[in-house]
Amino acid sequence: MSSLSATIQDVFNEPGCAKNATKSAADRKKGCTKQLQPGGAAGGCAFDGAKIALQPLTDVAHLVHGPIACEGNSWDNRGAKSSGPTLWRTGFTTDINETDIVFGGEKRLFKAIREIIEKYDPPAVFVYQTCIPAMTGDDINAVCKAAREKFGKPVIPVNSPGFVGPKNLGNKLAGEALLDHVIGTEEPDETTPYDINIIGEYNLSGELWQVKPLLDELGIRILSCISGDGRYREVAYSHRARAAMMVCSKAMINVARKMEERYGIPFFEGSFYGIGDTSDSLRQIARLLVDRGAPSDLLDRTEALIAREEARAWAAIAPLKPRFAGKKVLLITGGVKSWSVVAALQEAGLELVGTSVKKSTKEDKERIKELLGQDAHMIEDMTPREMYRLLKDAKADIMLSGGRSQFVALKAAMPWLDINQERHHAYMGYVGMVTLMEQIARTLFNPVWEQVRRPAPWDDPANTWQARADAQLAAEAADPEKVEQARRAGAICTCKGVDLGTIEDAVRAHGLTSLDDVRRHTAAGTGCGACASRVEDVLAALPALAAE
Amino acid sequence: MTQSAENVLDHFELFRGPEYQEMLVNKRQQFENRRDPAEVERVREWAKTPEYQEKNFAREALTINPAKACQPLGAVFAAVGFESTLPFVHGSQGCVAYYRSHFSRHFKEPSSCVSSSMTEDAAVFGGLNNMIDGLANAYSMYKPKMIAVSTTCMAEVIGDDLNAFIKTAKEKGSVPAEYDVPFAHTPAFVGSHVTGYDNVMKGILDHFWDGKAGTAPKLERVPNGKINFIGGFDGYTVGNLREIKRIFGLMGIDYTILGDTSDIWDTPTDGEFRMYDGGTTLEEAANAIHAKATVSMQEYCTEKTLPFIAAHGQEVAAFNHPVGVAGTDRFLMALARLTGAEIPVELERERGRLVDAIADSSAHIHGKKFAIYGDPDLCLGLAGFLLELGAEPTHVLATNGSKAWAAKVQELFDSSPFGKNCHVHPGRDLWHLRSLLFTEPVDFLIGNTYGKYLERDTGTPLIRIGFPIFDRHHHHRFPLWGYQGGLNVLVTILDKIFDTIDLNTNVPSKTDYSFDIIR
Repeated sequence: MSSLSATIQDVFNEPGCAKNATKSAADRKKGCTKQLQPGGAAGGCAFDGAKIALQPLTDVAHLVHGPIACEGNSWDNRGAKSSGPTLWRTGFTTDINETDIVFGGEKRLFKAIREIIEKYDPPAVFVYQTCIPAMTGDDINAVCKAAREKFGKPVIPVNSPGFVGPKNLGNKLAGEALLDHVIGTEEPDETTPYDINIIGEYNLSGELWQVKPLLDELGIRILSCISGDGRYREVAYSHRARAAMMVCSKAMINVARKMEERYGIPFFEGSFYGIGDTSDSLRQIARLLVDRGAPSDLLDRTEALIAREEARAWAAIAPLKPRFAGKKVLLITGGVKSWSVVAALQEAGLELVGTSVKKSTKEDKERIKELLGQDAHMIEDMTPREMYRLLKDAKADIMLSGGRSQFVALKAAMPWLDINQERHHAYMGYVGMVTLMEQIARTLFNPVWEQVRRPAPWDDPANTWQARADAQLAAEAADPEKVEQARRAGAICTCKGVDLGTIEDAVRAHGLTSLDDVRRHTAAGTGCGACASRVEDVLAALPALAAE
Repeated sequence: MTQSAENVLDHFELFRGPEYQEMLVNKRQQFENRRDPAEVERVREWAKTPEYQEKNFAREALTINPAKACQPLGAVFAAVGFESTLPFVHGSQGCVAYYRSHFSRHFKEPSSCVSSSMTEDAAVFGGLNNMIDGLANAYSMYKPKMIAVSTTCMAEVIGDDLNAFIKTAKEKGSVPAEYDVPFAHTPAFVGSHVTGYDNVMKGILDHFWDGKAGTAPKLERVPNGKINFIGGFDGYTVGNLREIKRIFGLMGIDYTILGDTSDIWDTPTDGEFRMYDGGTTLEEAANAIHAKATVSMQEYCTEKTLPFIAAHGQEVAAFNHPVGVAGTDRFLMALARLTGAEIPVELERERGRLVDAIADSSAHIHGKKFAIYGDPDLCLGLAGFLLELGAEPTHVLATNGSKAWAAKVQELFDSSPFGKNCHVHPGRDLWHLRSLLFTEPVDFLIGNTYGKYLERDTGTPLIRIGFPIFDRHHHHRFPLWGYQGGLNVLVTILDKIFDTIDLNTNVPSKTDYSFDIIR
């Protein structure tokens, strides 16, 4: 266990993460991910995080060591796409029982590995640790080592039992497993000056395939994609790439940074969502490759391709413009950065009335202001009631968001389109943006929204929940005391449940001037730390008070 | 030997064996004088062209693969909905065997029905003797409470007068004088099964309300607060009528279902054979005259019945097989208006759940194109629901659809932006539809079992909703009406959409990158 906790500490200490760098040493130790609130609705565990990060490796057998709960509920639940092997979709688990818990499950695990190798002969077996065998003390590292020696096959322990933390931590621990046991263990047949790695891309809905032809055309080879449509060997020799792109989610930043450290592979953080972002990413790839010795004509060829593809995409979007005339969009996103699709939305003639900034950094916010103007509606957190009001006042015709907001949107009777991971359409690259625009057009004109908004014909129009919500909102708006109450109740730190009023009071009472002051007095910002910029905004808004 | 007693192969496998295959090839080569396969292929392809479609649609005399049945079939449907009633079809017995097998194959239940078994001499000299003997035999053998007489073409062509025949038969003692023998003329060369339903429903009401063919005083209407409900010819009658009863119960409405076929086509297996089960009692049928209003769920099944009822002073309301949210809304609002009943919370919640279900999965249906064929009212109901879901009912076809029906469908198209490129085809058959599916293809086809040939030939996945459904079991037990029924239709459509996606993505290592467990 000590080596696992050391790995976790190492992961928390990620210097490549800008957010992490701003934290105090003590906070860093607590971890980079939101602490789980007992009693709160929580997301996936570290095991799940590790599994989803590695599962898109298509030719390996993913063996889950644990009781049926872990694999039984999760096998083949990922919309990643494979261009060939299907083994990754087969659910392998040791399905341990009471005897294994009493006497240990290592033997069963070893036998399971042997059976997989005998029956499937995959290039590698990934063994996932789960809570129960971790607690009863099964040493999967030792079993994997023994199996590797006995069968002469890579058997990779992925040590990320659920109890160590949330999903995001699991992503990183999966990365550590690759770094420790896979990357750098094999050599490619040949290398070119145009070899890149793409890290943290899972080929969901086959998205990567919308970008790959562009790279192919430029002669750029994806030496390894970690892990979308990946093959074991590709990951094993990925250390020979010249450059790497880390796809915007920070899930595998440790992999990108450590590969830079160990093998001198420079990386950048980029995104293929949005037309401008795709172009930027292509440019960056070309620049990094040229910096590392690729012929410099790559830059010109890249620019020519960008010009051509951008023109094509805009031309494809243009016919949709009449359908978008006067339509307004509300953007609520998590993983996909708020501004990355804004340009495409605007180009298509959609008006953006607001965007969520709950997970955005200060730079993100600046960029949003640049794109939307100073009056941009930046939504920190929105209740369904507020969402409904925004809709009612004809401020938005459609909401783009992740799956989690889907049901809120539906109950608020708002047209909604999924742009996060559970979607069934691929939005990556130039083609993807056109698809997104087409999907928005379809969603906007889906008659279901009319259905959802229309009360039952026997309803009293004065007594629908919408009417009641309106009345309540109007009553609150008319009462200055309630307006103030509502303002003060705005959440600043969601981890620790600290609202604006509490922070303002603390600032006034103690004359606080810095983020650390606020942390000490209110506990705000001591969870995931994502609210730091919001706290700073509060401080900036109260200079007079602080001086008192 | 391909077949052996130890391992008996059924027809799926047997004729694929080498001996049979060899025999068939020999036969083909030596005796069949087949056309050149290349020529067959050329014609097959040509039959997919607009040029062929033009010729196909220029057909004047020939109907190929009709999507309708005959009047007497509908006559039998209407008759069995009354308590212990034996449908008696005056005419040739072969026809009656068809009705029985048709219903048995669809409902998977025995369907009792007798015929006067007219033969050549009856055709020449008239069927009076067959009527006299037939009524006497049916009455004594099957002991029905009522015998409902309808006709086949044979009796109609020679002009047999049912009223006079039944009177004579009673005089001759076939059945007691006061015994109920309502009748209707239902020639197959006019209209279709929906017409036959209408004629018999009207005939039965006429019998009870207007003096039993001159043998009793006409009933005087004393209005009460009850509602009569007529379902019409409906392949989902078992599920639908039970759902309607539940809805009436929830709303606290006092009702009479005229022609309640929900039990006769769903008798339990408990050791007792029920030749008759359930049904509208004869007393209820008579008392239905006093009701406040009559609601018909299928306008084109009650084109004569409703005016007949209206002429007796009742308010009448007709629907076109409503399916979905808006259709059910209109139906419930009409009930509420007619009775003053409130819409109960249960129904309100069911409505919300249907809307929720539509919202959850509408993206998969929105924008998809459908061809629908079937009875006129069912077509209207389904087309309305598809428009509500944002789908396009590109082709709506009813062999038994009239011009007035076509105008109504067009009106429905015009009411929605999704109806813009949709076409209605009254009086056309499934061979017309075959052309349409090639020249203007759609994503899915909605129709009865016969649609499986269109599915095979054109590759358009078939969603089985309609009558008859012979090759899938028990769907008639689930309603299409009410919000629950809308949910069933939604799920039926979605199931086929997802099945189709799976079928398109199931080749290992080729297309199965999208063979996902989450859709």
